Amino acid sequence: MILNETPIRTSKNYEINNINIADFNLPKTIKKFEGLNITGDKVLVKEEKIKSSLKYGNGKDLLSQIQNSSNINLHIILPDENEKEINVEFNLSEENENLVEDILIEAEENAKGTIIIKYMSNLKDKVYHNGQIRVLSKKGSDLNIILLNLLNTKAQNFISMENVLEENSNVKYTIVDFGGKNSITNYYTNLKGENSNNNINTIYLGVENQLLDLNYIVEAYGKSSNVNINVKGAIKDTAKKHFKGTIDFKKDCKKAKGNETEYCTILSDSAKSISLPMLLCTEEDVEGNHGTASGKVDEKQLFYLMSRGLSLKEAQKLIVRGQFNEIIESIPNEDIQNIIIKQIENKL
Amino acid sequence: MKTKLDEINRNIYDIKNKDDYDFKIKKGLTPEIIEEISKQKNDPDWMRNFRLKALETYNKLPMPTWGPDLSELNMDEIATYVRPKTKMTGNWEDVPEDIKNTFDKLGIPEAEKKSLAGVGAQYDSEVVYHSMKEELLSQGVIYTDMETAVREYPDIVKEHFMKCVPVTDHKFVALHGAVWSGGSFVYVPKNVKVDIPLQSYFRLNSPESGQFEHTLIIVDEGASLHFIEGCSAPKYNKVNLHAGCVELYVKDGAYLRYSTIENWSKNMLNLNTKRAIIGKNAQVDWVSGSFGSKISMLYPMSILNGEGARTEYTGISFAGKGQNLDTGFKVIHNNKNTSSLVNSKSISKNGGTATYRALVRINENAKGAKCNVSCESLMLDDISRSDTIPVNDIRTDDVEFSHEAKIGKISDKSIFYLMSRGLSEEDAKAMIVRGFADPISKELPIEYAAEMNNLINLELQGSIG
Repeated sequence: MILNETPIRTSKNYEINNINIADFNLPKTIKKFEGLNITGDKVLVKEEKIKSSLKYGNGKDLLSQIQNSSNINLHIILPDENEKEINVEFNLSEENENLVEDILIEAEENAKGTIIIKYMSNLKDKVYHNGQIRVLSKKGSDLNIILLNLLNTKAQNFISMENVLEENSNVKYTIVDFGGKNSITNYYTNLKGENSNNNINTIYLGVENQLLDLNYIVEAYGKSSNVNINVKGAIKDTAKKHFKGTIDFKKDCKKAKGNETEYCTILSDSAKSISLPMLLCTEEDVEGNHGTASGKVDEKQLFYLMSRGLSLKEAQKLIVRGQFNEIIESIPNEDIQNIIIKQIENKL
Repeated sequence: MKTKLDEINRNIYDIKNKDDYDFKIKKGLTPEIIEEISKQKNDPDWMRNFRLKALETYNKLPMPTWGPDLSELNMDEIATYVRPKTKMTGNWEDVPEDIKNTFDKLGIPEAEKKSLAGVGAQYDSEVVYHSMKEELLSQGVIYTDMETAVREYPDIVKEHFMKCVPVTDHKFVALHGAVWSGGSFVYVPKNVKVDIPLQSYFRLNSPESGQFEHTLIIVDEGASLHFIEGCSAPKYNKVNLHAGCVELYVKDGAYLRYSTIENWSKNMLNLNTKRAIIGKNAQVDWVSGSFGSKISMLYPMSILNGEGARTEYTGISFAGKGQNLDTGFKVIHNNKNTSSLVNSKSISKNGGTATYRALVRINENAKGAKCNVSCESLMLDDISRSDTIPVNDIRTDDVEFSHEAKIGKISDKSIFYLMSRGLSEEDAKAMIVRGFADPISKELPIEYAAEMNNLINLELQGSIG
């Protein structure tokens, strides 16, 4: 299965244009899913399917599975400026092993809200998740979306996102990408309206033989639109991480700004980090920056912590946690923060 | 829409060509054509066989699936290009006006103009070349054309020829392997420091040699060399494909600086391959300026094989109207404490496309490797395009790697400042662009830097204001 094509190809030898998931077949039958739990302002959530097609997304096989045989369909409408919070929790397990969901989030004009979507599983079951999340953020709306992939490292995790932002709207994403033998994320934002604003803060953690493929694409059409992509992660064992981040300044997006940074801490010699931070530009009056860095844990910090009596592993763990801290603390739910911290403890 | 235009253009060409060429018998490259080339060149057997094998590879390999659109390239016509005894020399009258004008503006002497335009005999640099050659000979330096090297230094050529860049690398390098012609061979013996820069320009061969030239440079242990390729004057050739190959072997403790200023005429597809293999504590510095050609796909590469090997890349590309310059740098860290420093700048204007496409790979055994990449793109108007496509592949934990890129326009503040000091807007912009290119021009010998500045001024004329 070939997934996550970048918007512009480069040499095939670099193994980054797409990702080929071998030795895995899509589950043929998708049974009813009973591991869904919604809390908060759940009156705003309707269980209905509204079909649509995505501009990018995770390849046609996975997308057509969502179109034709999704077992969860949610339509969330945030009505107005009164701030709302909705918690959507998916618990995957042996009984509920396949989740194929289609979520549509609509924020009406000037609406405000926080939506937390959490994918959980126990430690051992080989569960499967294929989902799509579409967001339509109307004029002046303000959305905070927190997406937590806390599945186990045997799971198959595929997710496609598409956001369309109208003028003066604000969409902030916090993504925690920890689970999945294969965790393949396709993220697309269309900064359609003037002054629209998209912030993406991601932390990822790859251990054992996990493969993380993150393909983030943001297209700026609106004047003075703004995007910030901030990705931090760590990999160890034989984990592999591909980060592909594209900011595409389209003609006439005057005064648009785009920033993209990625930092990957490598904790083992057999781990592999590939990054491709692309800036594409057909408009003169823009500001685009990107920076990526990879490397070992800072030796000075390590020395300091170890001289205080910490073991190497404990010190490394603390440093990585420190890098993740800002993003973890921005999640407005202490229970979730604790789950994330516990997972970091266990994985490192 | 674009495709249609291309087709119309090609048809017009075809009609013209029917009268010009009398040998369009077979389409495509055949072993017979390769044999003919080989015979003409007086190749030894091993080289003939090498060419034939490269041809097989060429026929097997697909066209690249990425990068600029090469569909205008008619591969069948390559047979006509490379056939020996083809009269490549044209008439001075046929050389496009804009190229003649550029010669005048750059102040290039009459005789040299004709040589550059591929219509005249060799420029009298022959004299300069010979006197220099003698001085070098006394140090044991070999500097000769590639054909002579194949005949006179068979062992050393055989050991190195297309070992650094194997013919299986990509379609155009396979083509090069089959039809290569001309180019330079340099061997610098152990511990010899060559203190004058060697310039390929000193010895332009016969006019057609510019298409598939092979450059092979070996800098032996502890030796050093500065080699300059090309020149800032536009080179005009009737044939619109350039597929050269540059192989650099820099042994332990040696140093090589390889500078290129290229300004191919704007009908040219420049698909060039350059690569260096760098030994223990050795260093290769690339300085590269790309101004000409219609399409360029050019990614010099350093392979840091020895412990402590170093490389630096300083590059600039300037894409104007109708140009698509896809350039960048590749580096492979293969040993402990290797380091690389990349500084790339690109300018696009008047509808040109400038792409920085790159690769950094730091392998498992490259403990203590350091790599720092910085690229900046300047857009001079809103009809141009500028892309940055860098791949960073890190496979060890003991590494310091960072990459940063910026894209944007000339800041209004800087223009305002300069204008308030009495400069016209045009001059202010030109000054800022020259400043932007400064890190590259200061790496060049003074006469080249001056020429590059002239070139930037020329390219900017009419595009700003």
